Amino acid sequence: MEKNELQVETPSVLKQSSCQNIRGFDCVDCENGNDHSRLGNATSDKESKKESVASSENTKLDGQDIVISIPPMTSLSAFSLSLPSSPSGLHIGQTKLVVQQEKCRNTNQNNPANLNPQVARQKQFRSQPILVAEGTKRKLVRSETMRDSRFDPFKTWLGKLERQISNLRGMPTEEEDLEAGETKRHETEEAPGVDRYFDALEGPELDTLRATEVSVLPEDEKWPFLLRFPVNAFGMCLGVSSQAILWKTLDTSPVMSFLHISPMPNLILWWASLVLMVFVSFLYLLKIVFYFEAVKREYHHPVRANFFFAPWIACLFLSLGVPPSIAANLQPIIWYILMAPLFLFELKIYGQWMSGGQRRLSKVANPSNQLSIIGNFIGALLGANMGLKEGPIFFFAVGLAHYMVLFVTLYQRLPTNATLPKELHPVFFLFVAPPSVACMAWAKIQGDFDHGAKILYFIALFLYMSLAVRVNFFRGFRFSLSWWAYTFPMTGASIATIKYTMAVTNIFTRSLSLCLCAISTLTISTLLVYTIIHAFVLRDLFPNDISIAITKKKPKFSKMLAHFRSSSSDRKDIDSSISKGLEI
Amino acid sequence: MAPNHGPFTKTNHQIPISTRHQPTISTTGVSTGTSTRTRDSNIVSASGTDLSILTQFHAGYFRISLALCSQALLWKTLAEPTTDAHALSGIVRTIPSFAFILLWLIALLTLLLLCSLYMIRCFLRFRNVRAELAHHVGMNYLFAPWISFLLLLQSTPFLRPSSQLYRVLWCAFSVPIIALDVKIYGHWFTQGKKFLSMVANPTSQITVIGNLVGARAAAKMGWRESAVCMFSLGITHYLVLFVTLYQRFLGSDSLPAMLRPVFFLFIAAPSMASLAWDSISSSFDISCKMLFFLSLFLFVSLVTRPALFKRSMRRFSIAWWAYSFPLTVLALAATAYAQDVKGVMPNVLMLVLSVLSVVVTIALMVFTAFKTHDILPHDDPFACYSIVRHIST
Repeated sequence: MEKNELQVETPSVLKQSSCQNIRGFDCVDCENGNDHSRLGNATSDKESKKESVASSENTKLDGQDIVISIPPMTSLSAFSLSLPSSPSGLHIGQTKLVVQQEKCRNTNQNNPANLNPQVARQKQFRSQPILVAEGTKRKLVRSETMRDSRFDPFKTWLGKLERQISNLRGMPTEEEDLEAGETKRHETEEAPGVDRYFDALEGPELDTLRATEVSVLPEDEKWPFLLRFPVNAFGMCLGVSSQAILWKTLDTSPVMSFLHISPMPNLILWWASLVLMVFVSFLYLLKIVFYFEAVKREYHHPVRANFFFAPWIACLFLSLGVPPSIAANLQPIIWYILMAPLFLFELKIYGQWMSGGQRRLSKVANPSNQLSIIGNFIGALLGANMGLKEGPIFFFAVGLAHYMVLFVTLYQRLPTNATLPKELHPVFFLFVAPPSVACMAWAKIQGDFDHGAKILYFIALFLYMSLAVRVNFFRGFRFSLSWWAYTFPMTGASIATIKYTMAVTNIFTRSLSLCLCAISTLTISTLLVYTIIHAFVLRDLFPNDISIAITKKKPKFSKMLAHFRSSSSDRKDIDSSISKGLEI
Repeated sequence: MAPNHGPFTKTNHQIPISTRHQPTISTTGVSTGTSTRTRDSNIVSASGTDLSILTQFHAGYFRISLALCSQALLWKTLAEPTTDAHALSGIVRTIPSFAFILLWLIALLTLLLLCSLYMIRCFLRFRNVRAELAHHVGMNYLFAPWISFLLLLQSTPFLRPSSQLYRVLWCAFSVPIIALDVKIYGHWFTQGKKFLSMVANPTSQITVIGNLVGARAAAKMGWRESAVCMFSLGITHYLVLFVTLYQRFLGSDSLPAMLRPVFFLFIAAPSMASLAWDSISSSFDISCKMLFFLSLFLFVSLVTRPALFKRSMRRFSIAWWAYSFPLTVLALAATAYAQDVKGVMPNVLMLVLSVLSVVVTIALMVFTAFKTHDILPHDDPFACYSIVRHIST
């Protein structure tokens, strides 16, 4: 629908700046702007206004600064007119048009409005950049006194509170702002359907916006930190806590005693991972509190939804890796507390596979789904460590059944499955994790490393080898925080190898376990270095999280957007991108 | 002309019908009189002669017999002395044994009635039976009578498992199951139109359950090899079917909304496998436990999704009987679990599940008694197929 599509393209920006500051938007083409107003005044009709806008756009297509004026229909103040800085008479004329527009919207009549001069004055300064067009280098000068409400649709009710506070502080024009925010919030209440995610995003992690799509949030600016903080950050906790378990195993296994590992690494790593976990959880909790809409969108994202298992898995890792000096035996109640949310998440996700219409497995299956399976096996391992009997078997059974289904589906690489990357990507290392943790869990449940555990271990080893020999194909990917989640399988495989060595002890298995431990430690250290570099030197550890900012409906003017998104003004490029936009 | 082909609307590639209409009620294709029918009035008549009601009856009605026979088996198992002497078995033992015999006899009579009705249908409407065999939902219910007979055999108070008659009857009931296996499983991977990916739907699990019931009966008899043979048949195809159903290819959306209760068959298959392996390995070992837990998880998963069943619950239909059999099988598996793993939790589980299954079955019987009209066949859902085939050929 027109209304909706226009709505989503226009986040409102309220600012008090004069039009001269908005280069290329308000000041250029003042004549065209006047034409706008005259045309608009003549008809004061929505459709004709759009026509005039469209015509003005067409005239501007020849290499001038690009102004796209698409008035959104619901927000009272958010519309775009090329407002020239001109004598107040023209301003009044503009605002009359504006208020007429609103009246048309509200009452379906063409009555001239009673101008509230103050409203009029405020309206004329309000203009909004709707699209991020690479052609324009628009520098928005935001006044200090105006609150940035572009991110309001993503804020929770606390955002409203913030608005009230800024009201009290005397910032201008909050009523329209409130209404705009309300309508926008209403529009973004439901997260986009899963089809939208597949249509709008691409890439192995579904995190890159397609060229024909538009983000609802401005892309050329750094968003608030909490909005940029993805749930993948819990992958870091996974990586570090699995290292803690590795060093604990190295310390406590008799077969590796020739290394003379002290308990110190385990202790340090465990404390580090605990602190990291608390920190990341706190930040994400803040995100839930302040930007619930963004969290909801992440939850509905086909790849990110699996990372919601990561906090619980990290807690399970922490319980598994607790140094013996701190707690020799954990209470079973901890197991029940940790497994309860895991169980509920599973019910939701596996139930969707079985019976949910849009999210059938043949469509949404991707390697990150294995994160949900791993939770079952880790829970079984921890429960068996604690001495529980039936609970671990329960989770092992559920995990095994669904792992079978997922494994077959991923191996099939169905043509209906859009999310599997064509090229190798670190996410493929997740294939190694389920069999290795399943083998450890089974060995613990059965009491010894029997045939079932060995079969699972060899499957894990085979998958590891087939990925390791292809390590050259893993080049060329942009570093992201989720890589931490992809490297904990290496640590898992190392721990499984140590357990295997405990059962079958010879020089070959010992050297294998040594080798794998070295690889995993090296990988984690490299990742740590990369992370620190990106965090503090390059400062792009948390880029704008585009995947949560997709529009709910496909933007209708996609061909226009395709044109504006292409960086070159070459005709051929424009045509090809337009045709691509039409096809999609 | 709007052919009344019931709920097999969307992706049924076997029926070359271009026009379709929404059925007002659909079970396995029963439509009410409000739908428009302009076909041969011999086949369908809104008033319906007695004969036509008899012959419009289809294999889906065997759900009733499945439910009752499994109830008989449940009561027999609960009354066994090996069941732990807790509250439930205490109550069960106070009920006089003739009540069990009565239940068994009622189940037997129902089954015989349904079988004879189906025989009449075979003789008089063979074309429709053939069409039913060809349909992706209908064909699975042809296992249902044999499963019911096997369940009755296992729960009979009159025969001992080691007796000769028992073995003869087992053979008599298992051979049709194996024959149907060969036909249907063969279709799955050889016949183009009936590839598994196209025809897979939750009722396909009935084929698996048939094998597993035969395996359990054979194990009880002492014929271990036959038991393992049928078990392996069942479990292999279950593996394939489980993955396929979970993947939910586009072609497999062919289950109409009124048939949603058959989703409970997801619960029945692993429970039955657990019981079968329990009989074969004579102890409730870890594989049995894993299958039972999987079944329990699927049960919780389905029960927490009421929206899935909302449309089918609007009106009473024969599909509602699909709830009873899986719950009973789950209760049976819980009983076997509690017999092996003694403790509070397993017994509570057994209690809750058994009570649930009994309550559901009794409720269904009450509904059937009061709303008999809704459940009688008004129409033969497979009639149009034979007609359309003749028209199109």
